[in-house]
Amino acid sequence: MILIGEELNVMSKTIGQGIKDRDAGPIRECIAEQVKNKMDYLDLNVGPVKKDPVGTMEWLVKTVQEITDIPLCLDTTNVAAMEAGLKICKKKPILNSASGSQESRQTMMPLAAKYPCSLVLSVINDSGLPSDAEERAASIMDSVAYANDIGIASEDIWVDPVMMPVSVDQRQVAAYMEFVQMLPDIVPGAKSLCGLSNLSFGVPKELRGLLNRTFLVMLDRIGQHSAIVSGYDEELSTLMNGGLPGIVKLIHRTMDAEDIDVSSLSEKERQYVKTAEVLMGRSLFSSSWLEV
Amino acid sequence: MALKGADILKKLPKTNCKECGFPTCFAFAMKIATGGAKVDDCPHISPQSKAELEAELSPPIKLVTIGTGANALVIGEEEVMFRHEKTFFHEPGIAILISDKEAEAEIDQKLKKITGFDFERIGQKLKVNLLALSYESGDKAKYEALVKKVLETTQMALVLISCDTDVLFSAAALCADRKPLVYPIGKENLSAAIPRLKELKVPAGVYGKGLDELIEVASALRDAGIGEMVLDSGPKNMLEGVRDNTLIRRSALKKGFRPLGYPTIAFPCFMYKDKLKESLAAAAFMTKYAGIIVLSQPDEHFLLPLLIYRFNIYSDPRRPMTVEEKVYEVSNPDENSPILITTNYALDFFIVSGAIEEAGLPAYLCIKNTEGLGVLASWTSGKFNGEAIAEFFAKYGVEKKVKHRKLIIPGVAKKLKEELEEDLPGWEIVLGPNEASDIPKFLSEEWKQ
Amino acid sequence: MSFEPPLEKYSVKIREVAWGHGEKIVRTGGENALPFHYFEGALPNLAGLALEVVDIEPENWAPELIEQYRDVVSSPAKWAKKCVDVYGANAICLRLLSTDPLGRNASPQEAAATAKTVADSIDVPLIVWGTGDEEKDTQVLTEVARVCAGKNLLLGPVLKQNYAEIAKAAMDHGHGIVAQASMDANLTKELNIALCKFFPADKIVVDPTSSALGYGLEFTFSIIERIKQFGLADRDNMMLMPILADVGVECWRAKEAKANRDQGILWEAISGLSFLLAGANILILRHPDSLRVLKEMITEC
Repeated sequence: MILIGEELNVMSKTIGQGIKDRDAGPIRECIAEQVKNKMDYLDLNVGPVKKDPVGTMEWLVKTVQEITDIPLCLDTTNVAAMEAGLKICKKKPILNSASGSQESRQTMMPLAAKYPCSLVLSVINDSGLPSDAEERAASIMDSVAYANDIGIASEDIWVDPVMMPVSVDQRQVAAYMEFVQMLPDIVPGAKSLCGLSNLSFGVPKELRGLLNRTFLVMLDRIGQHSAIVSGYDEELSTLMNGGLPGIVKLIHRTMDAEDIDVSSLSEKERQYVKTAEVLMGRSLFSSSWLEV
Repeated sequence: MALKGADILKKLPKTNCKECGFPTCFAFAMKIATGGAKVDDCPHISPQSKAELEAELSPPIKLVTIGTGANALVIGEEEVMFRHEKTFFHEPGIAILISDKEAEAEIDQKLKKITGFDFERIGQKLKVNLLALSYESGDKAKYEALVKKVLETTQMALVLISCDTDVLFSAAALCADRKPLVYPIGKENLSAAIPRLKELKVPAGVYGKGLDELIEVASALRDAGIGEMVLDSGPKNMLEGVRDNTLIRRSALKKGFRPLGYPTIAFPCFMYKDKLKESLAAAAFMTKYAGIIVLSQPDEHFLLPLLIYRFNIYSDPRRPMTVEEKVYEVSNPDENSPILITTNYALDFFIVSGAIEEAGLPAYLCIKNTEGLGVLASWTSGKFNGEAIAEFFAKYGVEKKVKHRKLIIPGVAKKLKEELEEDLPGWEIVLGPNEASDIPKFLSEEWKQ
Repeated sequence: MSFEPPLEKYSVKIREVAWGHGEKIVRTGGENALPFHYFEGALPNLAGLALEVVDIEPENWAPELIEQYRDVVSSPAKWAKKCVDVYGANAICLRLLSTDPLGRNASPQEAAATAKTVADSIDVPLIVWGTGDEEKDTQVLTEVARVCAGKNLLLGPVLKQNYAEIAKAAMDHGHGIVAQASMDANLTKELNIALCKFFPADKIVVDPTSSALGYGLEFTFSIIERIKQFGLADRDNMMLMPILADVGVECWRAKEAKANRDQGILWEAISGLSFLLAGANILILRHPDSLRVLKEMITEC
């Protein structure tokens, strides 16, 4: 799976300050760490920067490209900033993101026709976030058809079903996986992208990594193409690069509802199994899911 | 039990020929499931599969329309037993009963009151939907006179109630074009009623004493080609009504049982003389699936709670309720009154405005449109940040309303304080309490001019 | 072809919580079917309908409401007795508003003494409710637990922030607790898991936080329905506790409730009935007419 490191985020204290002061120091450190964890792309999130979004994006892209060759994922809702970034990317970047809304179709999506890039297209449309698999499918089919019409190939489209936090609506986790598996049938050629960290939003900090990593392994098994993940999570990188095959196997067996003798497992293994169970919807989620 | 894409796919040719305009049969199936395509669009589906699929796709609970035009009541096509599974779709109609035995003056007064009602909540009208006209006088002319008077006075939808079938349909003939519901159609008058129903094309209010008899009558009507029906199993009290309505809806949704696949009508007006009990029973029926609820009289103090209850239960849990963006004036504020600001999420609005009222202090409550998102979520998405609020201030001329320059913001929005200090120069930004319930205390202690 | 009504049977049941003592002990919960579904299961215990008593003279209450208790508002014990003897309450909720740190800030000792007096003056079960202030409630409720040992009260609200101490005191002195989480099934479950590590599961009632008609009722309604589903349909062991709705205090706050007598009573009664239909096993009400009319309607055959 293609992993996109999310740590270059203006909301982070150090990075935000670095961006504000135009100081490459914290940027450099952040990139080094993400490179160590073998990220395939780096997400540049200038999201809610109000002052000079265009200048900020330009500075950030230039600075990052001076430090590393890793391709970029440009993450902003500001159309002018997005365009400014796309113009100066050395390698084919990811445009994160456009949606099915009229506004996005008119302003953000055309950028993907104008500049070579991969387009992240979310299932959101003018009615908001679709609530079940059928509605998501209908929405993304319409959006992809429109994108095709304005010259964006399906192969360059990465569909984002929009991850909801498990603590907000656990049923959405199963719906999410169902949807990823039907993508080849409804928008053949298009790929998938997952904003992983949103899964564990609202969960105690120390437990978020476990939830995220487990779900990522589950998504990998069902053919997920890419995900935006924590670039600082060493264990995530190890897992996804084949360093913990035993854990991966356990998660798969849990998905298959195999009988697993938990007493023979190590603490870490037990935790992954329990997490996979809760993500499969076999019991009601609570932040104490490891203790039940 | 709306059909899922995977189930629809089972009846399609699965050749992925693309002639329907979609890349695969599965894609086509998903589109049909959301109403974005018709089974007809597939040139290769077998006639039998097509018929089966169309039957399966037809909603388990029939859509029924009573009345016409702007006053039409549309009920049915429900999909769930619990609103949290998705939502309830068509709110039940509230009908007020008028008997032809009542004195003219009384009737006139009732009509005047009902047609004059103007209930509203967060910008939405709460309607009393129907008049139920009951034949009790024994005098056919009198009943017809009542019907005629009502037809002239209002465009509201009608339920005609008469145990005399001849009187029932004569009255219906007077207003067939207004699609009144005719009740009761039961075992005794089935054969007389069927031809009249077909002739006048009005929906049938079906009565059966208990579920078995109801199924018998409804099945006979279905077989005779009657399309629109509303069912009554004759429960004698609230708990029986809850039972029957639950079983009817379950049969329709979970078993696809067509004879019970229709909305129901409830008569708390005939079950209880005590007005409080009648209202409570009405609320129970609103909760448990009824499509029309008939009440005995138009007292606004008994009606308002029911109208609001219906509004609450039938709100879509998937969409946050919102209120209009504007500067609300609570208890007549003046130029020295405090200004508070929060999002347009309806619940926040009610709680905060309620707390301010409780405090007894006049104040301005600025409500910013955040599309129903709460304080923190809307701040993160840029709808409730310094810039957005500064725009709001400019748009609504907030500065002109008061002499002071203090703005009270929700206590949880600490980062917002810094932003506003930049974006609203000259304003002192005061962090209010974290909980709206502490607003009264906060205002009485902290608000010093 | 006779019609087979589609009945649904559950293989688990809501835990039965017994509170109070002696003859008038009340059992709550114990059902293996959805609310009022007598036609497909067993619901051995009627909903507990409690009337509320406060330990200070009520401020800002609707005139209609004060009217019912005018002669007893200065004495919680007399007030409680009137609720039982005259108004037929089969349980009382004593809300210790005097202990509000932002109000009179009465001491835990004073509050406990009041609770004891009230408990001694009635033979029906008693719920003792704090103000929601985590720290103060801890002191107050633990003291109440000690002083009222043996009365088998229900103590609440017990929160994520203060459950350890209050639950221990409840356990030591033989009381049950009402565990409150804010309108979230996951948080309800979490608190139950934490409690059940040391506290008996069959002495826990859950409160998902109530709201009034027109002021968020539908959120409470759906959360109660969902908790019931997780328990009965999904057999989640940590969601099989009976449910309480503290409905009177919310409803009588509404300006609509204060505007007119019938409207006020309906504001409360409809909210209460709504929560009963969703799955609440205990209601805390304020107006005796709400109690009367609800009781009559849920006991109809």
